[in-house]
Amino acid sequence: MKILICVKQVPESDAAIKMDDCARWIRPEKSISYKMNRFDEFAVEESVLIKEAFPGTRVDAISVGPARAAMVVKRAIGMGADNGVHVETGDHGYLNPLIVASLIAGYARDRQYNLILTGIMSEDAMHGMVGPMLAELLSLPCATSVIFEKISPETETIRVEREIKGGYRDTLELKCPAVLTIQGGINKPRYPSLSNMLRAKHQKLVTIVASPDDRPGPREEVMRVSYPQKSRSGMVLEGGREEKAARLLKILREKTLI
Amino acid sequence: MTKRIVVIAEHFNGRLVPVTFELLACALEIQRFRQVPISVVILGDRVEDLAHEIAGASGLEVIAIQDPDLITYNGEIYKNILGEVLPELSPVCICIAHTGQGWDFAPGLAVRLGAACITGVERLFEEDGRICFTRAIFGGKLVADFRVASDPTIITVQPGSFKKASFEARTLGSVILRTVSYQSRQSRSLGIKRAKEESSAVTEADVVVSAGKGIGRKENLEIIERLAALFPKSAVAGSRSVCDSKWLDRNRQVGLTGASVNPRLYIAAGISGASQHIAGMRSSGFIVAINTDPNAAIFNVSDVCVVEDLTAFIPVFIEACEKSNA
Repeated sequence: MKILICVKQVPESDAAIKMDDCARWIRPEKSISYKMNRFDEFAVEESVLIKEAFPGTRVDAISVGPARAAMVVKRAIGMGADNGVHVETGDHGYLNPLIVASLIAGYARDRQYNLILTGIMSEDAMHGMVGPMLAELLSLPCATSVIFEKISPETETIRVEREIKGGYRDTLELKCPAVLTIQGGINKPRYPSLSNMLRAKHQKLVTIVASPDDRPGPREEVMRVSYPQKSRSGMVLEGGREEKAARLLKILREKTLI
Repeated sequence: MTKRIVVIAEHFNGRLVPVTFELLACALEIQRFRQVPISVVILGDRVEDLAHEIAGASGLEVIAIQDPDLITYNGEIYKNILGEVLPELSPVCICIAHTGQGWDFAPGLAVRLGAACITGVERLFEEDGRICFTRAIFGGKLVADFRVASDPTIITVQPGSFKKASFEARTLGSVILRTVSYQSRQSRSLGIKRAKEESSAVTEADVVVSAGKGIGRKENLEIIERLAALFPKSAVAGSRSVCDSKWLDRNRQVGLTGASVNPRLYIAAGISGASQHIAGMRSSGFIVAINTDPNAAIFNVSDVCVVEDLTAFIPVFIEACEKSNA
């Protein structure tokens, strides 16, 4: 079996995110540290679990992004992926999901993957579009928000449970090859092992430089980013810890909430 | 051919989902900038009654497409039917719910139709003669305004972002019934499964104290439980990441994929406020947030903001409360 996992590099979730000067995306500050998108970690873990269950399985990790994104491909290898592919783009800040999906589709087409996995969405852009768009571009079946999967190699199908809402799961069976987007909580992502990280360090990634011709024109664009509007008064309590506690207690009493 | 705004209605277990009426509200807002008719499309195995319900409430034209294979939602069949039906309607904008269903088929449908696609839309406005859509990014720390180059545009609308539409129904609306048969070839729906436990403890509480990643470790849940114990009819809940870490049962999760709650008081402790979480608690009566990060998105939807480490602040608050009761 051959599995492709699509991973994205995102800023650390506690990074102080600031807008860039023209407010088109965030400021790529030196101080920002980057990591693998949390939902993609679940996808990598799931692919490694499949590899462990079905010996002979090969897992390739792919990431589309600027030079620094190679780091997350290496991390995927550290977690147990066999090979890494980096589709290198310039550091444009925002990459349109259709462009990302097209670049991955360009790589995956004709490479006979049985399964393509990715996280349900990225923590930064939060579109949740690359997976289902990739499936459509490759004419493959797709299930999003997958919280359980079970492969039947003899019938070449995969049974999945999709988390929908409030404790309901949508169950379905897909014909392989298929694309799944993985929901958080499906497994417990492992830390990269030392031996795998050493291997990742020395292993050469396949690097593909994306040329502008590879990309469809974006159908939508970001005009600007801004800080969200407050939908409530958002009174900030001042003073020391005790003062804040007393103030909060007073407010809750006045509202007869306590 | 007349251009239109199209709403894809969502239903579940034989009932319309409330977000359907929020999609209609969104469509009405779009109509202020693009004066074209609104049509509603509903898909399912038996949806004639639901179609009449929408037509009756809205006075709009509802196209009910029945397919015997659509006993439950199936993304492949949805894309096949909508991929054929929508071009006939010349849509300028297609409004879909940002839910486990809508978010599943919208991006693929956009590729098929050559449409722009913007997911998780919370607001819209007009600028320079074009409709622009606002959505959260970076876990809600920022919002981004998107615009599109050409029609059609598919948007998925974040539940709770638009107020349920009210219509002065002067007309009764109409229902166009069509029957099709698109068997899914690459996928087979096997039905909806209900998770073992219900989330009623969380949804029925008067006061919900909710823990986020900011609690740091499982042991700190004890602080949350002690805080909840101060209130009658209270429940402890958590964000997705807390439930992912198995610190709390899944039936305690509040948010888009968990429970939707509207207690009198919601206390968000160590919750950053990702839009998926906010979607599940924004209608709470009074919201108090405790977070060390003064820029946390949760503060944008809170009545009272406490910039503190919850593990230090909550014990002080509990003590203040007990003292004043003594």
